Amino acid sequence: MGLTDSLKYYWNVKAMGQPFLHWQRRQAERNPKVSSRWRTDILSPPLRIGARTKELVSRHYLEGRYASGHRPVAWVTSGGPVEILQALGFYVLYPENHGALCGARRAVIDISSEAENSGYSIDICSYARTDIGSVLSGKTPVGRLPKPDLLLACTNICQTVLHWYRVLARHFKVPLILIDTPFVYTKASDHALKYVKKQLENSIPICERVAARTLDYRRLKEVIKLSKDAAELWLEIIGRGRHRPAPISVFDQFIHMAPIVEMRGKKETVDFYAALLKELDENISRGIGAVRNERKRLLWDNLPIWYRLRYLAENLGEHGISVVASTYTNAWGELAPLMNQEKPLESMARTYIYPILNQGTKYKLDTMKRMVEEFQLDGVILHSDRSCKPYSIGQIDQRNKLIQEYGIPALLLEADHDDPRAYSEEQVASRLASFVEMLDD
Amino acid sequence: MQMTIPSRKEVIKDIKKRKGLVAAVLPIHYSRALLRTFDIYPIELWGPPKVDVSLGGTHLQTYVCSIVHNALSFLKMGALNVADLLLIPHTCDSLQGLASILIDLIKPEQAIFPLYLPRGQREDDLTFLADELHSLYAQLSDFTGKHPSDEDLLAAIKREEMSDLLMAKLYKKKQLMGINNIDFYRLIRSREYLPAEQFSDLADEALQTSGEPIQGIPIILSGIVPEPMEVLSTIDEMNGEVVADDLACCGRRLYEPGTGTDPFRRMAERIIYAPPDPTRGNSIEERVKYLTGMAQNTGAKGIIFYDVKFCEPELFDLPELRNALKEVGLASINVEVNINNPLPHQVATRIGAFLEMLDS
Repeated sequence: MGLTDSLKYYWNVKAMGQPFLHWQRRQAERNPKVSSRWRTDILSPPLRIGARTKELVSRHYLEGRYASGHRPVAWVTSGGPVEILQALGFYVLYPENHGALCGARRAVIDISSEAENSGYSIDICSYARTDIGSVLSGKTPVGRLPKPDLLLACTNICQTVLHWYRVLARHFKVPLILIDTPFVYTKASDHALKYVKKQLENSIPICERVAARTLDYRRLKEVIKLSKDAAELWLEIIGRGRHRPAPISVFDQFIHMAPIVEMRGKKETVDFYAALLKELDENISRGIGAVRNERKRLLWDNLPIWYRLRYLAENLGEHGISVVASTYTNAWGELAPLMNQEKPLESMARTYIYPILNQGTKYKLDTMKRMVEEFQLDGVILHSDRSCKPYSIGQIDQRNKLIQEYGIPALLLEADHDDPRAYSEEQVASRLASFVEMLDD
Repeated sequence: MQMTIPSRKEVIKDIKKRKGLVAAVLPIHYSRALLRTFDIYPIELWGPPKVDVSLGGTHLQTYVCSIVHNALSFLKMGALNVADLLLIPHTCDSLQGLASILIDLIKPEQAIFPLYLPRGQREDDLTFLADELHSLYAQLSDFTGKHPSDEDLLAAIKREEMSDLLMAKLYKKKQLMGINNIDFYRLIRSREYLPAEQFSDLADEALQTSGEPIQGIPIILSGIVPEPMEVLSTIDEMNGEVVADDLACCGRRLYEPGTGTDPFRRMAERIIYAPPDPTRGNSIEERVKYLTGMAQNTGAKGIIFYDVKFCEPELFDLPELRNALKEVGLASINVEVNINNPLPHQVATRIGAFLEMLDS
């Protein structure tokens, strides 16, 4: 690591950037302003924590901008076992999160076109296209992404990530660690757990070599504990959606989940979620719901439609519908009980083999049914996401079973999590209108 | 060259007559030997092409590939009633999804056996796959009530290895056999359903024939499956000669003979060390090296990437792969098809133009 790069990092990040972002947040907290476009007649004002979310996310990308040469940089898939990297001091970037950010800022068509013009098919995942397009062109709404020194792809969310990371490995000419997590149809076999644990063990020397330091197991345990604490808090936050009116909607959750995805294993993430939980509890005690006139409550299945979050929140909110829970945001909390810092690698193997996306379609159906009961929901919206086959295949039968076997109204909505070209507002609006009508009958 | 290749129907009828069990097997990699020791005969299901997909469409979204759509439609229309079980290797997200909805939600009459294929070629991947095959052995034991010995397994493995060696010889001798592309691939692809011993007899017979060498424009065909098969007769008509292939159903399964005496490890070795395949996680570099070597050995002038629409494992590698091949002087084109449709005229025209370009 270079001295000049470190000086640049300290000057730009520590001396200038972070104090500025902190000041900006304080200003926003002292004088909370609600955008004139915010439909305050339908939705409660945004959560106060939003200023802090913005600070955390901005700080994360600011650190990334100056990380190269100062800290080792790893690019990791969203379900990847990040704790070893955190314990070794890596700056960790999640291209999927960056893709989501590009989606929310409506930059996807411009950036992914760069990949498509280089031959990448429009039929591959839009996160991947956005990331590859960004790598090829340097385009990003966050200024600049640091080049990776190491790539880590974990197949527990899909097989797509491995193909995607093979492309990145070839482009950046850096080591690619593969953590292959056999799909769990019912229960993970002993040999599958052993296999994942062994891969985690074998990844350590590679990470150590790139980081040029030895893994301190005490630090690893601390990081796992912090990951677990943050995941538990996140689960509690999601659980607050059980209250009527729900103090947080899934559209808020989608925004505030960024730290649990890309900043696991850090103390500030734990503090952030503790503060969010406190705010929600205050809102509960004051009877404030995310949707002002909450009449009906829904579950969201699959990834968000990043470029239409506000539209969906308002469209549904207008009818007094609050989408209060999601199988997707739940996935970042439900594995918290499996983490155990006293058995670091063993518990990581178990945790990272069991994400909802690495489990069978029945598990997802059961999860939906359980959440509908626990959160006392009136129906389910299943986002059939063109870019996410592992999440989407099975939804047609799941919807049918929800309706026919459990009597739960359910709607399948065709779109794409990141690419607006696979989304038709007119069609979505008309399908939502019919669904709302049916819920009211 | 005139050869009589038994049809799938005839083979299945024969198996049933002998009281054997039939396994419908989805793409790509699995161990034929493991099934055969239980007297289960694998009949592979690469689609099949041109079926009524409306039945699969009631369970799958339109952005799932036609191989998976067709397989499910074929099952739903009752065409797989002859199968006693389905083996679904975890080849891609779509096949994983198919296995999962069959097990959890659709629940057909046949038993479903998934098989996870590791995405690396490391020692741990080999150990895992051997364990996974062991686990499949235990499940098949429960299913059939049979407990084949290691010797039985090794005998079956050797029989399959012999068959694969003969298949490799067919590839080497193809240009001297005077056989056109469509007939050659009918022969090669009969390995998808013929028992090893029957395929070996057929291959032996074919290897003894010789004909006027075909002097077409030498090309490599890459992709998952050459369906609809008209693509091969189209290449024939346009004076193209497929001198080698990188097809998942054919050349990517030219498994080398194993070495060890532990049957599970040997079966795993054969799959893990098979020719590069993106679905098993091989890198783009490995594929470039393999395809370049293949072109050098066969004199191929160009490569046709013949892909099934929505096939992510194939689509991701293409830009880098084609650029790297271009750098070493290998021209290529990419065409996408839906195996359910007849070969589009546009695809035939593009292939024709590509061959003309190579010839000039």
